[in-house]
Amino acid sequence: MNRATLTLLSLLLICALSLVAAQQRARKLFIALERAQIEERQLNQDWLRLEYEQRNLSKSARIRDVARNQLHMVPISPERTLYLKETK
Amino acid sequence: MRPVGFSTTPNLVLRLPMWRSRLMLFLLFFVFMLLLIRAFWIQGPGNAFYEAKGVRGTQRELELPASRGKILDRNGQVIATSLEAKSVIAYNDTVPDDLAADKVRKLASLLQMSEADLRKKLKEERKQVFLKRQVDPEVAQQIKQLEIPGIGLNNEYRRFYPEGEAMAHVVGFTNVEDRGQEGMELSREKDLAGHAGQRRVVIDRLGRVVEEIGIEQLPQNGKDLQLSVDSKIQYIAYNAVKSAVEDHHAKAGGAVVLDTQTGEILALANYPSYNPNDRRNLNGEQLRNRVLTDMFEPGSTIKPFTVSAALEKGVINPNTVLPIGSSYLVGKKPITDTHPNGSLSVAQIIQKSSNIGAAKIAMNYLSPEEMWDMYSAVGFGQAPKIGFPGAVRGTLHPYKKWVASDQARIAFGYGLSGSLFQVARAYTIFARDGELVPLTIERSPDFKPGTRVISAKTAQEMRQMLETVTQPGGTAVKAQADGYRVGGKTGTAHKLVGKGYGNKYLAYFAGIAPISSPRISVAVMIDEPTGGSYYGGDVAAPVFSTIVSETLRTLNVLPDSSVKQATLVDTGAADTPVASAKIHHVVSKK
Repeated sequence: MNRATLTLLSLLLICALSLVAAQQRARKLFIALERAQIEERQLNQDWLRLEYEQRNLSKSARIRDVARNQLHMVPISPERTLYLKETK
Repeated sequence: MRPVGFSTTPNLVLRLPMWRSRLMLFLLFFVFMLLLIRAFWIQGPGNAFYEAKGVRGTQRELELPASRGKILDRNGQVIATSLEAKSVIAYNDTVPDDLAADKVRKLASLLQMSEADLRKKLKEERKQVFLKRQVDPEVAQQIKQLEIPGIGLNNEYRRFYPEGEAMAHVVGFTNVEDRGQEGMELSREKDLAGHAGQRRVVIDRLGRVVEEIGIEQLPQNGKDLQLSVDSKIQYIAYNAVKSAVEDHHAKAGGAVVLDTQTGEILALANYPSYNPNDRRNLNGEQLRNRVLTDMFEPGSTIKPFTVSAALEKGVINPNTVLPIGSSYLVGKKPITDTHPNGSLSVAQIIQKSSNIGAAKIAMNYLSPEEMWDMYSAVGFGQAPKIGFPGAVRGTLHPYKKWVASDQARIAFGYGLSGSLFQVARAYTIFARDGELVPLTIERSPDFKPGTRVISAKTAQEMRQMLETVTQPGGTAVKAQADGYRVGGKTGTAHKLVGKGYGNKYLAYFAGIAPISSPRISVAVMIDEPTGGSYYGGDVAAPVFSTIVSETLRTLNVLPDSSVKQATLVDTGAADTPVASAKIHHVVSKK
């Protein structure tokens, strides 16, 4: 065996090993990506749920109920309203 | 004698025929050829089959789910949204037969079903059984923690409607497959639905995804839909209708609020209603969107259009006086008024809602064609084009078929029919100085040009007359709204029962506000009020009043009627909510 063959053989070995390493890295990154995507979906869902909860807490029926029964407020009526005109 | 060797004794020489070895050689060659051809076949043309087999073991096609679009009100508030909800599936060939009893009990209680039912479901022959669809997230988490083999959770979406009953008929609902069934969910299904995508992945021995090969189809999420409806105004209208129906022991009720400047539908309320989040025990009565799908005879609410047609023709003016009397015979049946009048001016005919007056204006000054043109121009007999399922067109018979008694009765609202929605729309001509505005249920807040039906002068005269209806001497003093000048017309129609008119009534009020610069058109209907008065002025007008004053305040419209100011007392301490609620400052932008 001459020197050239040995060099080529070792090159081949290095390439083969780096391929394995690259493949491994790709899989790891892919798993990380998958996880991140699942998390994104989850966060998106959380956001939608929170938006829904916020809406549930701020809907007219509840505000009316809280204002009347808990805070003992009364509806606006024009005779108790002071209308101010904005001057330009 | 030739010597004969032992090994070569001629007796032992086998004389095999030559063809046998040839045959053998040929057979061997033939079989090898077959193998070779097969090998080439597998490598070449037959490859796809084996490749597919290999792929099936290592690759999967996964669905990329698309979410359904949200429905928002005009201010961007959510009125329908899809949230993830897991479905519980049993893979019956994987579920062990000797499942621990306490686990079954726990699962059954989490699924809110009896143990016997659960066991029956687990014994079913089918491979997959849905144990329960769309469970709450907490329940799903607890089921996961039970770690029962063969019990899986599947991602699904469930639709939630935060506004509940108040908005039910506008939004509608979807079924368990997330397809629209009613209301906007049905009519805008295409835009809301979206398309699921697909991707191809490599899986390992345990079925985990290790690599993505490619996305074959990108998922497309449904588009959000923004409606013109204001959830606050909708709530005001729904509540006002609901309490009127309850107070008058009525069968049903409905109300429409339109923005006369933009043609947007601000509210569309029906009662009885239902909760779209929980649709068990639904009945047709609850599902009916009466405002759009119920046809009724509009009764006196049509009179302003009869009068407008005559004013427009120039044959009468608001001060023209007509003799009325106690009855007026056209055809077989005499026309009567609730309260007899000697003679009335045109304005008083509207104010007092005189049937005889409206019939006389029609018979003396108008041809059937002119009347038909007017009713048709304001939208009667045509389905409103707002893309809502089931909107009716009503009936308006061709004028050539009218006989004299038809003409007289149509003039005060009998013999033609329409929906409450059509009435509300028709009244926009008085609000818009004679223009009929195109309506929309999607948000589009710009001023819209309309089609001219009557002149601005006629519209202004009508506005003045409509205002007198709500003033002392009119039929609907109860329609007055705090702080705002309003105008409108009452209606009390006998309901058609079978072939004739029974003792059942519909009470209406349709009107516009504020009169000085109309912003909204409101129509209210209460179906079969019982116990006490059934007149539009007593039953429907107060609902109109509530809706108008609360809606205009919500829209920050400056009051146009003089209000007696309550004396303001500065208590110095505005720390209690009651005290701080005493004075409200509204800055007008005019």
